[in-house]
Amino acid sequence: MVPTLLVIATLTFVLMRLAPGGPFMSEKDIPAKAKQELMHRYGLDRPLHEQYLAFLGGAARMEFGPSYKYPDRQVREIILQGFAVSAELGGWALLLSLLIGIPVGTIAAVRQNQPTDFAAMTLALAGVSVPNFVLGPVLVLMFSLSLMWLPAALWTGPESRILPVLALCVSYVAYIARLTRAGMLEVLRQDYIRTARAKGLSERVVVVKHALKLGILPVVSYLGPAAARIIMGSIVIEQIFAIPGLGRYLVIGAVNRDYTLVMGVVLFYASFLLVLNLLVDLAYSWLDPRVELA
Amino acid sequence: MSIGLRPPAVVLAAAERAAAPRSLWSDAWARLRRNRMAVFAGGFLLVMCTLAALAPWLPFLSDPAAQDLAKGATPPTFSHWFGTDELGRDLFARVLHGGRISMLVGLVGTLVSLLIGVTWGAVAGYVGGRTDDLMMRVVDVLYALPYIFLVILLLVFFSKSLLMLFVALGLVQWLTMARIVRGQVLSLKHQTFVEAARALGASDLAIVFRHIVPNTLGPVIVYTTLTVPAVILQEAFLSFLGLGVQPPNASWGTLVSDGAKLLALFPWLVLFPGLAMSLTLLAFNFLGDGLRDALDPQGRRDGV
Amino acid sequence: MDAPEVNGRHYFGALRAPQGQLLRFNLGSEPELRDPGVMSGVPDGRFARMVFEGLTVPDPLTLEPRPGQAYRWERSPNGLVYTFHLRPGIRWSDGTPLTSRDFLWSWRRVLTAATASRNASLFYSIVGAEDFHKGRLTDPEQLGLASPDDSTFVVTLAQPTAYFLMLTTFYPFMPVPRHIVEQHGVRWTLQPNLVGNGPFRWTYWRQNDRYEFVPSESYWDRASVRLDRVVAYAVDDLNTSTNLYKSGAIDWNPSGYIPSQYLGYMKPYADYRTGRYQGTYFYSINVTRPPLNDVRVRRALNLAIDRESIARDLLKGSREAWGRVTPAGYPGYAGPAQVTYDPARARDWLARAGYPGGKGFPRISILFNTSEDHRRIAEAIQAMWKRDLGIDIELSSQEWGSYLQSTTALQYDVARRSWIGDYLDPNTFLQVLTSGDGNNRTGWSDRRYDALIRRAAQTLDPAARFALLAEAEAIALDEAPFLPIYHYFTTELVKPWVRGIHQTALDVHLLTRVWIDHEWRQHEPLASGDAR
Repeated sequence: MVPTLLVIATLTFVLMRLAPGGPFMSEKDIPAKAKQELMHRYGLDRPLHEQYLAFLGGAARMEFGPSYKYPDRQVREIILQGFAVSAELGGWALLLSLLIGIPVGTIAAVRQNQPTDFAAMTLALAGVSVPNFVLGPVLVLMFSLSLMWLPAALWTGPESRILPVLALCVSYVAYIARLTRAGMLEVLRQDYIRTARAKGLSERVVVVKHALKLGILPVVSYLGPAAARIIMGSIVIEQIFAIPGLGRYLVIGAVNRDYTLVMGVVLFYASFLLVLNLLVDLAYSWLDPRVELA
Repeated sequence: MSIGLRPPAVVLAAAERAAAPRSLWSDAWARLRRNRMAVFAGGFLLVMCTLAALAPWLPFLSDPAAQDLAKGATPPTFSHWFGTDELGRDLFARVLHGGRISMLVGLVGTLVSLLIGVTWGAVAGYVGGRTDDLMMRVVDVLYALPYIFLVILLLVFFSKSLLMLFVALGLVQWLTMARIVRGQVLSLKHQTFVEAARALGASDLAIVFRHIVPNTLGPVIVYTTLTVPAVILQEAFLSFLGLGVQPPNASWGTLVSDGAKLLALFPWLVLFPGLAMSLTLLAFNFLGDGLRDALDPQGRRDGV
Repeated sequence: MDAPEVNGRHYFGALRAPQGQLLRFNLGSEPELRDPGVMSGVPDGRFARMVFEGLTVPDPLTLEPRPGQAYRWERSPNGLVYTFHLRPGIRWSDGTPLTSRDFLWSWRRVLTAATASRNASLFYSIVGAEDFHKGRLTDPEQLGLASPDDSTFVVTLAQPTAYFLMLTTFYPFMPVPRHIVEQHGVRWTLQPNLVGNGPFRWTYWRQNDRYEFVPSESYWDRASVRLDRVVAYAVDDLNTSTNLYKSGAIDWNPSGYIPSQYLGYMKPYADYRTGRYQGTYFYSINVTRPPLNDVRVRRALNLAIDRESIARDLLKGSREAWGRVTPAGYPGYAGPAQVTYDPARARDWLARAGYPGGKGFPRISILFNTSEDHRRIAEAIQAMWKRDLGIDIELSSQEWGSYLQSTTALQYDVARRSWIGDYLDPNTFLQVLTSGDGNNRTGWSDRRYDALIRRAAQTLDPAARFALLAEAEAIALDEAPFLPIYHYFTTELVKPWVRGIHQTALDVHLLTRVWIDHEWRQHEPLASGDAR
């Protein structure tokens, strides 16, 4: 895990420094002396390898220094504050997509090639056929501007969670439904399922009690990267609904050449992803006794 | 226990099983034909692709770039089937031309990821050992980098050309392709037909590309069919951020993301491109799923 | 879009007033800095005006300087010495008394290079200011700033700057609490550390989400503040902001937060306000690159832009075609005649420069930062130059950072730019084109122009001064390092029950006297929403 993070850190560092422009460009000119001061304050006037080592040292302690664009705040504060919001948004979306996706995929598998299969999959696949920056405004137009039931944006009370979570979960429902369907199709062909059926168990018991545990294995392995992405914030949803999450900092940081913020967010994301993959492997081994951990 | 990074256990398990004998194509075709949705989707795609490809030469189609500022955005009428946009351009023409660009982007982006992914995965799987470790480590690292960050930097460095867009789009998709192919190759490389080829003096390169890769075709075809819509959707996302296809070219992605911003004012601007794009993506997905059912009845769970 | 109707007037947004005296609005993008001495930008400025106050405050309607922390001031006959008398009993929001020494310390701080203030150049008319800021002078005592006693602040200028009083309404001139800044260092601008002397007190903050304020009990004019609470959201997406206004979540959608495609349709709504904004949109020319170093070429390009058509057809009348470097709205300043569309003369100039009919003209490109609006205008002008001059132009769009880099480093041919005035005087626009000014970014330098600007800075008589500036602007229009295109307009949405928010030329609003009129339906809806 550490070598991967090291490579990612280095890659990010190099890429950011290569990008034209710097963190102190603005439409209104900053006098040379002031710019010099800023460079000095952030250590940008030190030789590059020194900066790199300082950055690595700080990163190891989760200290990324102050952001360039928001100089009174530490990058760590910004990330944690944004992460709290993104995690909540993503958590709800993930939960919802599992609650919808797994049953839909299971039903589709059980009724393979029948109209129910097609209907269920069409519904699920709509998620990967309609971009969420279309779904978002449509939902807002319907429920907020016309019916006036829900807020149009912002992260205030519980009602403000509904539309963004809905818009966010739709694409994940598609993947989860498809993976469940594929997994269940495979499992339902297995001999032991045939045995269970032969024993006279009802279809529902067969599916839910025997097949499901192994049938959702593909979903489990998908969950790792999916959870990382969904929780790191959907940039589109956050922008449309003005949600103060983590996703936007990646774009803002890259556009403004905010070196520290970008490093912090990238490393945070990478670590988070790696940890989640670990958890997924553990969950996998628990679900499928045939697999051992390396 | 050492917890290193390795491909999902799913693929490992598949590698441990004896590889199924190469599906007879006619067998797969029969299975596919039974899936009526997939057949219908395939037909729809054929029509769509033809229309889009022939767009510049269709006689009844207006010029998608012809502006009429005085007219502005108008709803659908007999002269403009899909209406016009804020610059007075005919939306129907723009949707068809946009489809052309979107399909092109989808196909080329997929091709890029296919070429890189298959080569990478095949070499890693076949050579094995430390090279395999290193190659897959690279995949892991790239996987852990946030995609949007890479794309922004790429487009900043090389400015926005269509070529760069293809590269940026192919960038992420090849990772999963590489993993899939590697898994396949791992399970295939100990098969007897490979031993035979080696005994006959075939070079490693020949073995990999002439014997092994063709046997991985099943999952590769499936994944490719499913990558095209993913790439098209990805391009739409980039358009939303202003990084996609640049004007005067317009893809479905740009049409949809521009139209979504004017949803309250001119709903037809997002409705028609959106429908065209969504139906096409849906069709690709159904076809891909159908192909998977047909070619992979044992269900290699590739974690797509 | 459905629009509720009251008294025969249509309104764009929902008509449910909030309870009590609560104002909710969109601040704009999240402010980068909350330190008035360092910040720049409109959202940052809006924050500053809530919690800080300078010597003077702008009149809510006319932007004229009115008494703020200073209740009285005198100007010496030669226009070089300003003496400000501070109100007795003014305090910071933590109760600490505010004295003239706070102003002294704050202004010196802005002029200290280590502070990295973005607007320090506005102080340069003060004796010793530029030298001190650039490091040539090291003793702050030699600056033209003095506080002879706790309630008197004396400013000595090096030249009689006519607009100096107006500058004191601008946020870099606001005081900052020394005891807080020294205690917390760079983190003094965070909640709950920040202490101000303005009408409101900052109570809550979540980054990229919102700011909350309540009236400050230590404010000298507390009695005039009628609002109980203010919530300012930080929403930078235009569609989202407009949706929030439409659905009734905010009561004021400030200028610039309506998507441009809507602007052509907004006129019928009673809650839509538009008026002249002190800003211009123009094309900047890199005069160091041939053939643009030839003034005849630049004149040709300038005369071949059909501004009227752009404003009317492309921008649907939401902006005004403009042919001058300085915008309108400076009382007493007539300025030179505007550049107009004259394709015949344009062709003539191009021919004289050696490219008759556009033959042999090298391919130059128009640079702009990625945006559909900029692209449309560039495409229109590309077509115009092709049609009228016969030249082929490329378009090049770059993302914001690269665009700034390119324009600053003079790596472009023609670039789209805007300039917004900092204060209500033509000098804020004309200063930019002086040689070596950091905001010039064209490479253009003209000795006559510089001399005129310098002389104007030293002239006390307003009429004579304006005459000099007009002469300078005439040179700039003729030499055409800038190709003016349109005049900015403010475009805001204000709910009918919000009183006291007026359209101003600098898009500056003081929320001190704003109040919520729950009987708005009975009251005659006034065009400017005067406070009653």
